[in-house]
Amino acid sequence: MTSFHPGDRVRVRAAEKPGHVRAPDYLKGRSGWISSILGHFPNPEDLAYGLSGMPERTLYRVGFRQSGLWDGYEGPAGDRLYADVYEHWLEPEGEQ
Amino acid sequence: MSGVHDLGGSSGGPVDRSQHEVEDWERLADAINSALGGRGLQTTDQHRRAIESLPNYRDLGYYERWTAATEKLLVEKGILTSEEIDEKADEIERRWSGS
Repeated sequence: MTSFHPGDRVRVRAAEKPGHVRAPDYLKGRSGWISSILGHFPNPEDLAYGLSGMPERTLYRVGFRQSGLWDGYEGPAGDRLYADVYEHWLEPEGEQ
Repeated sequence: MSGVHDLGGSSGGPVDRSQHEVEDWERLADAINSALGGRGLQTTDQHRRAIESLPNYRDLGYYERWTAATEKLLVEKGILTSEEIDEKADEIERRWSGS
């Protein structure tokens, strides 16, 4: 299932989940945009416990403005960061 | 925070850029990891999860984490027991030291 498309505004879920997590803390709650769709893969958060990881999850490359990630960011205004984020860690930017 | 390893973006102080030679046991740790993966006994996702859950994560070096996590997984899966691993380590130590 592919819920998002390149250009869509998204936010990384600000959720806490026990165990193996593939969304870094510094991105949680931060907004960005879908840069590209990287493919569909078994969920590594389940594979980590010897489970099947099925159904496959879509992995996206998500872009973020560096100035939106770090307080007092002093680099050029156009600086961006790209991170690979699985579908289940993303929500549309409009939702809480 | 997702765990002790989830440090991205936090202030870590100056980076130690000094180099060191790779030690034999580190090559061995890498080789054992590859062999276990090749036999289907361990996957990278499982290994990462085991590394992240080491209670003494902060005190260990890179390949120390690898070996501790591999031991944890082998015991967890019932492939080896901690006692078997300790006995073998003692045996190797004795052989190595010639006593």
